Amino acid sequence: MASLKIKNLHKSYSSVEVLKGIDLEIEDGGFLVLVGPSGCGKSTLLNTIAGLEEITSGEIQIGGKSVEGLHPSKRDIAMVFQSYALYPNMTVAQNISFGMDIRGIDKAEQKKAIDNVSSILQIGELLDRKPSQLSGGQRQRVAMGRALVRDPQVFLFDEPLSNLDAKLRVDMRTEIKRLHARMGTTIVYVTHDQIEALTLATKIAVLKDGYLQQFGTPDEVYNDPKNVFVATFMGSPSMNLIEAVVAKKGENLVIQIASNDNNRFELPIKNIAALEDYVGKSVLFGIRPEALTDREGADRTSDQIAHQDCMIEVVEPAGSDTFAVINLGGKEAIARLRADAKITAGEQASLAFNMSKAVFFDPASTLRIR
Amino acid sequence: MTRSISQDNAVSSSRMTRALIYAVLLVFVFYYLLPLYVMVANSFKPLDEIRGGDLMALPKVWTLAPWASAWSSAQIGVEPTGLKPYFINSILIVVPAVFLSTVFGALNGYVLTKWRFKGDGIVFGMMLLSCFIPFQIVLIPAAKVLGFLGLAGTLKGLILIHFSAGIGFSTLFFRNYYAAFPTELIKAAQIDGASFFQIFRRILLPSSAPIIVVTVIWQFTNQWNDFLFGASFSGFGTTPMTVALNNLVNSSTGVKEYNVHFAGAILAALPTLLVYIVAGKYFVRGLMAGAVKG
Ligand SMILES: Nc1ncnc2c1ncn2[C@@H]1O[C@H](COP(=O)(O)OP(=O)(O)OP(=O)(O)O)[C@@H](O)[C@H]1O
Ligand SMILES: [Mg+2]
Repeated sequence: MASLKIKNLHKSYSSVEVLKGIDLEIEDGGFLVLVGPSGCGKSTLLNTIAGLEEITSGEIQIGGKSVEGLHPSKRDIAMVFQSYALYPNMTVAQNISFGMDIRGIDKAEQKKAIDNVSSILQIGELLDRKPSQLSGGQRQRVAMGRALVRDPQVFLFDEPLSNLDAKLRVDMRTEIKRLHARMGTTIVYVTHDQIEALTLATKIAVLKDGYLQQFGTPDEVYNDPKNVFVATFMGSPSMNLIEAVVAKKGENLVIQIASNDNNRFELPIKNIAALEDYVGKSVLFGIRPEALTDREGADRTSDQIAHQDCMIEVVEPAGSDTFAVINLGGKEAIARLRADAKITAGEQASLAFNMSKAVFFDPASTLRIR
Repeated sequence: MTRSISQDNAVSSSRMTRALIYAVLLVFVFYYLLPLYVMVANSFKPLDEIRGGDLMALPKVWTLAPWASAWSSAQIGVEPTGLKPYFINSILIVVPAVFLSTVFGALNGYVLTKWRFKGDGIVFGMMLLSCFIPFQIVLIPAAKVLGFLGLAGTLKGLILIHFSAGIGFSTLFFRNYYAAFPTELIKAAQIDGASFFQIFRRILLPSSAPIIVVTVIWQFTNQWNDFLFGASFSGFGTTPMTVALNNLVNSSTGVKEYNVHFAGAILAALPTLLVYIVAGKYFVRGLMAGAVKG
């Protein structure tokens, strides 16, 4: 087990810069999730940690020691690939023991190690099969077994669940979390699924276009996003972003929002010093669907709930919740109501805005105003 | 109503097309098999039956004498040795050359796809060029090189020539095949600590059977059937089968023994035929595998 530290990492492929100065740190036993849209450089970052790609500049430390120039096999890491990368010509057992075979470990010891991981992952009866004779979920397990058997300092996972169907994905997610709790090994995990990121991580790094957008705990990334990209990328349905004008009302600030009937309504906002500079100007008002509910569903522990009548345009029952589409500031916004909230499409309903969860962004720079 | 009519039409027109296709194919099969039939049938006839009669007829008297003569006693040039020693020459040239050009083609393909380096595209481009150069152009430089190496007229020299001429295509085949081979497997093996050659031998090669078969058939056929290099670079004791066959047919002494010539020609073609029969299934499969991706 070891900590991992990445300092000002740059990576270019000939003329294209893919990673543009990444700084990250994960403590021993932590679970770091790299998340971001396709092509943002997640796999590249993971490959540089593994030593499969050379870095252009910067430093990577595993367990406090720079791994510069170390061959992938010498970095004490194990990797699980998106395609699983099981050797097609070998059986499951041979796949798991290939690394030991190369290192010349004797057969008896290999067998013990294989038995150990196969009982952890319950793949005992698959050991003599070829990868082509396995289901997707079983391949996934074998790939994890091959990583597990190395007993590394750091596990690297590159979208390990993205080829599984929805149900299996949730199961395996839980299993990975359980494995992590049991082994306590440091993990770096790439995904573009923000739910996976939130459920698994102790730290999340949000990447976009080779830049680190935000690095923090799941709670920080979700509730305290640094910019519009992070705010909309994390969470599903994603955060509502509504154009609003800041105004002063006595001592307090309010925001004014255009509703669908061309009237403006006001919502009180908590005191954010920087917002004083925006009085009279427009900002992006961000509120997550779950902070925009029916009156009865509102969070009772919140210190700032504002009520407002809104025209309900569409109602989408989703079993455990009901989603309502309303029009705020000329844009569609989604509210998340209790499943049995009494609302009807085309009618007004009184909604509760949990303003203590509201966040504001500068429309030009898209950075958070705080 | 209209629908069922059009369906009937579709069925009958597709039947018509099929019949037509089969008819055309049968014509072609007949057309291609006819020379083979003539050769086989006449190689079992005594000479007077050929001279007196119909080339298309089956032998009235079956005899193996032409085969025995072609193999071991017919006049090749000046020596009455039959084709046997030349057959052995060809084996001694072609087997190592096929082996070497396949192995090096595989290594080249491996490096060009999985261990990319600066300028690898140019290297590959030049190898490709070697596939399309007419070999007559390189005859004189090749002769100079062989002379310089002291290999002129030797089996080793011929092996070197065939190996060099074949490696372009081998590289092309393996490069295209390995381009479709998942790079993540190579990465996984690197993390497992496997070396350059261990990855090649234990990960790549076991999955390469189809393309190996394609390459071996391709190289074997080309090298076995080669006449140009054989005629240009072979010495007195190193003449290959194709050149010997030519000498057999052109031997001016005595009567033309057509039955012996037919038997000799079949003997010369036999190894390539055998390779196709044994491995032809994989040949098509391997060509497809290379064609789909890469
Ligand atoms: N060998 C390479 N040469 C040139 N560019 C590359 C190479 N590998 C990756 N890239 C580029 O680097 C960028 C980042 O790629 P990367 O594979 O890290 O993305 P990713 O975040 O893992 O995306 P995904 O979620 O689709 O897997 C992409 O724009 C890609 O085109
Ligand atoms: Mg990726």
